Amino acid sequence: MTDKNVRALIHDDNVAIVKKSRKSIYGRIIYYVFGAVLSLTFLFPIFYMIAASTKSEEVIAQHAGTIMMFIPDFGNMGHFLDNYGEVFTKYNILRHALNSLLYALIAIVLNIIINGLAAYAICKLHFPGKRFFNFIILFLIIVPVETSIIPLLTICKHILHLQNHFSVLAIVLPPAISIFNIFLFIQFFSSIPKAYEEAARMDGANTFQIFLKVILPLSKPILATVAVFVFIGVWNDYLWPTMVLTDESLYPIQAELETIGMDPDITPGQTMASLVITSIPIFIVYIAAQKYIVKGFGAGGLKI
Amino acid sequence: MVESSLIILAVFLAIYAFVVFLDVRKAKKRGVKYHFRQAVTAFLFLLPACVLAYFFILLPIVYSLGYGFTKFPLLRPDRIEFIGFRNFTDAFEEIASDGWLAKAIKNTAFFVVLVVPLQIILALALALFCNFKAKGNVIFKVCFFTPVVISLAVTAYLWKELLSPAESSFINSILGVFGIPPQDFLNNPDTTMTAIVLISAWQGCGYQMLIFLSGLSGIKKELYEAARLDGCNAWQRFLRVTLPGLRPVLLYIVITVFIGACRIMIQPMLMVGYQENSVTLSYYMWYQGFRGRNVGYSAAIALLMTIFIGAITLIQRKLLGGKDNDR
Repeated sequence: MTDKNVRALIHDDNVAIVKKSRKSIYGRIIYYVFGAVLSLTFLFPIFYMIAASTKSEEVIAQHAGTIMMFIPDFGNMGHFLDNYGEVFTKYNILRHALNSLLYALIAIVLNIIINGLAAYAICKLHFPGKRFFNFIILFLIIVPVETSIIPLLTICKHILHLQNHFSVLAIVLPPAISIFNIFLFIQFFSSIPKAYEEAARMDGANTFQIFLKVILPLSKPILATVAVFVFIGVWNDYLWPTMVLTDESLYPIQAELETIGMDPDITPGQTMASLVITSIPIFIVYIAAQKYIVKGFGAGGLKI
Repeated sequence: MVESSLIILAVFLAIYAFVVFLDVRKAKKRGVKYHFRQAVTAFLFLLPACVLAYFFILLPIVYSLGYGFTKFPLLRPDRIEFIGFRNFTDAFEEIASDGWLAKAIKNTAFFVVLVVPLQIILALALALFCNFKAKGNVIFKVCFFTPVVISLAVTAYLWKELLSPAESSFINSILGVFGIPPQDFLNNPDTTMTAIVLISAWQGCGYQMLIFLSGLSGIKKELYEAARLDGCNAWQRFLRVTLPGLRPVLLYIVITVFIGACRIMIQPMLMVGYQENSVTLSYYMWYQGFRGRNVGYSAAIALLMTIFIGAITLIQRKLLGGKDNDR
């Protein structure tokens, strides 16, 4: 459907809405009120988390059972600063947040280059045995393979020697390959006309330069989708880092949450503060890249 | 271990060489030419992805099939030995004697049976709600989807705090308003899994809502118009137009939610720990392999799980997809 048709459709709908009687205005108000209530029932744990992170244990107990549970208490900045200050100094959460950020960024760059190159070769280059790769990609996408995390651990132990800083390789390398991302890249690259590449080849560019200077700049939407997904995946991963990292100073932020949670001295306010800090980057990425997230999940629906 | 990985590599290379041979022969017949330089470039481009996919995707799959028949202590890979079906007989004995594995199966089954319908119905209701034409209802979509992007660890610790047995915890203080004494839902064997079901459905349904929405946008408007002209009311239109239109999406959602539910692990792990009332299949498998250091037994459980999930998925496909073929 062309853009014009879509616009015409939307216009028709608007006209229809205007034509409808006054009754529908009340319907609309009910709709919005109901939606607001539903949204609040979905988000109340998050409001509670943010509110409780600004309170001391006594204040939380005082507010328990009242609407004040959801309202941050900035009246007494002391508690707010206490909670966040403790999380930053005692557990050094900034260091772990930076670890997570670094791992995510490395994984994003590797993922885009490695899967992008592979997809470009499969989509645009002519070479014998292409069917083999097409078949493997299709197989791994359609068949639900229940990979066990334990065999992956034994392999990583064997080839990456999980000691010292080498263990970081086990965090960034496995998420750098994603069959599904290759699939997404292939779908996108096949919509790029051949004329762009031919023009660049006339100018004397080699294949790698074409990929870097022509194909990637044309693929910004899919790059954003892939980057957002790899970021969310690596940032939110909890189990795998705790299995492969032996040095606690290398822990990403999610793994550090376990250490914080095990501390017997911690107050609920501090726990909530650490959870808020862990979620802030995800909220920022989610709000900034909401369009790409929806698009990516839409593509996920095509998987079958 | 090195030898076995080389054998697997050799098998893949042999299959690939065979495909290349076929392609080259076919190209000769048709007079198509392969440019040597371009083929080399293609191989170089594919190489990093192939290396990573070999180590981190293919080898784990193949090994997870093979380890089940061995005794393999996690920290002494050199002491691996082939023991046939002993891991599997051990597993069945564990079930027969009502051991931890039996508890894990019971808890997982309880979780799956409750969470799959609950999450799908919730997601469908939210999708229908967001599908209304109203200005600014994107904001509702964003709100419903928010729990999906938060990490499992954060939601687990958050809900552990909300459900804590203290009188001043969120849930207990609300119960207190109605005069109900404080409860410890997570550690009470009767309510542990129910609480985890509700939390999982809350966190997961936004994802399925988006997929339902993309399915809803694919249903032609004329069908609704036609149904309305035929005198169908809203409920009939839902049954006769919306549901059939959603069937392909529904199949996908049922299968993915089912597989995801069978893998439940992080929530019980972080909120309750390794207890009889919280252990699940994946959790048991991970615990045996990582904490118990018994990779072979863990892989045997994983293999049984794969077979079971594969079988159920096939049945679901037949049941849900089959009706399409009748028409």
